[in-house]
Amino acid sequence: MRVDVWGVRGSIPAPGPTTNRYGGNTPCVSVIDTKGHLCVIDMGTGIVPLGTALLQKSLPVRDDFGAGKGNATVLLSHGHWDHIQGFPFFAPVFIPGTKLSIFGNARTADRVEALLEGQMNPQFSPIYTLKNLGATIRFEGVREHQCFRVSDLEVSSMELPHGETSVLSFQIKEQGKTLIYASDAGYSASGAPDDVVEFYRDADVLIHDSTYTPEEQELRRNRGLSSYLDAAAVAARAGVGKLVLFHYDQDHSDDIVDENVRLCGQELERLGAGRTEVVGAFEGMQIDI
Amino acid sequence: MRVRFWGVRGSFPVPGKQTNRYGGNTSCVEVEIDGHAPIVIDAGTGLRQLGKRLVRNEFLDGKGLVHMLVSHTHWDHIQGLPYFSPLYSEGNELQLYARQPGDTHLGAVLAHQNDGPYFPVPLDSLKARVQFNELLEGQQFDIGDVRVRCTRLNHPWIAMAYRLDYGGKSLVYCSDTAPFRDILLEHEFIATPPTVGGPLDTKHAIKLHMMREKLVDLCQGADFLIYDTQFTPVEYESKPHWGHSTPDDAIAIAREAGAKTLCLFHHAPARTDDQQDEIFATYKHLLRDDNLELLCAAEGMVVDLDKGDA
Repeated sequence: MRVDVWGVRGSIPAPGPTTNRYGGNTPCVSVIDTKGHLCVIDMGTGIVPLGTALLQKSLPVRDDFGAGKGNATVLLSHGHWDHIQGFPFFAPVFIPGTKLSIFGNARTADRVEALLEGQMNPQFSPIYTLKNLGATIRFEGVREHQCFRVSDLEVSSMELPHGETSVLSFQIKEQGKTLIYASDAGYSASGAPDDVVEFYRDADVLIHDSTYTPEEQELRRNRGLSSYLDAAAVAARAGVGKLVLFHYDQDHSDDIVDENVRLCGQELERLGAGRTEVVGAFEGMQIDI
Repeated sequence: MRVRFWGVRGSFPVPGKQTNRYGGNTSCVEVEIDGHAPIVIDAGTGLRQLGKRLVRNEFLDGKGLVHMLVSHTHWDHIQGLPYFSPLYSEGNELQLYARQPGDTHLGAVLAHQNDGPYFPVPLDSLKARVQFNELLEGQQFDIGDVRVRCTRLNHPWIAMAYRLDYGGKSLVYCSDTAPFRDILLEHEFIATPPTVGGPLDTKHAIKLHMMREKLVDLCQGADFLIYDTQFTPVEYESKPHWGHSTPDDAIAIAREAGAKTLCLFHHAPARTDDQQDEIFATYKHLLRDDNLELLCAAEGMVVDLDKGDA
């Protein structure tokens, strides 16, 4: 599978020269399987450039999105703004014929639909309602530990704590390779529960929340996000191949992220997990697993 | 009276190298008057940086007061509000003004953004005091010593333009609006655009004419006119129902109203800095022998109306 990163920022888009290298768009990652099916994880503003790339045919996807033949799966970790705010500006949704299956963090399909319908309300959006979009959209509510198949991908979900609410982490497997997406994970101060570590076990790539420095985490543990130390700890315990830091604080400049990535690497060494490689996710990053 | 731009972009925020100079944050303008509480117009993502600056002052101690005029509640004009730091300190006060939404209360509309699945902190549990002031079209009121007037614009679900007068200087904020010629935009969803320059329903034509008259009246002799110029004329041709104008439309209003300086604003999200430079240069050249001064809004730009910057 091929993984492309389109948005890496938490909370709110952070434009400006200090975020040019890692990027200021909110979370969006795409996974293209060996059959060329497109699976999108989260719909932050990063989904806008993904939409542009699909219309420009610059990705190895099977379907012609520009011709209204696009078919994509979307996995939503949760409904906070930074994970859905790009949706009304994702170009393929305006093209009649496009098919989207959106799997969301809710008990029922209706709730996933209501989440996105509320975003299109005419008070807030000139689209007025999802019914005005060209795309045909199917919704699915995803429960914890649910397994389902997306084209050639085997997807499993796990609920992670996120402040007073929860988010879904996704495990995506194809041909013996595993990707984990764990944005907005916020464990207690004692670290990730054992079943979460097992869910991440031996993953080839773990895309993990790393919003804070340890100092910031001290003050903000109740917000339900991770520091790079939290990310290093869980990556070391789970023995993952590559840790990709993700969901950076909106106030962290590229230089701060550089430093956090370096210190995360040091922490992995200290934990005896030197084999685990650490990189900072950036817009335009491509990983072939 | 100083005007400071914190966000100049329309539709959605656009980070990246291509927007470094004009800025990628959505609409937010601050009006600074010495000794007066700040007046903010619109709460796009630019508001977050303004909030960070304010909490260094009296807002840190929970003694801050900020006034906010909201043109309309489309996302790009309110999405910075949950990230506005002063709202998280006990004692601070936000006086928010916007058009009376019709079938519901303004507070209920804005609460939606902070609700359950979308955001972790509900609006009514914020520490600061937030008061919603609903406005009627044409209303006139005072914020301290600043006289405020408003009139409606031609935009889906309707937006408000504001005029601020203080110490003999005047500012008008006119975003978002379509020109007043091809389509009447109110509450109806328009799926397919009308032909630009095509025939118009008589009732609609009259309503648009009156709306335009009132806007020209609002802009009369304004020192500084900030105007939605998201489209080039070619882009407008296919999207007259989107509710945005071109620089030509803005120039026509500014000239008729005898405004002194016109400022291009609400730049299209896909517009690169170089393209924006080109648009600005084109219209600058067009107005080279004109009394009307032209500026192009960029994040961080400050215009001091008292020093004759505008």
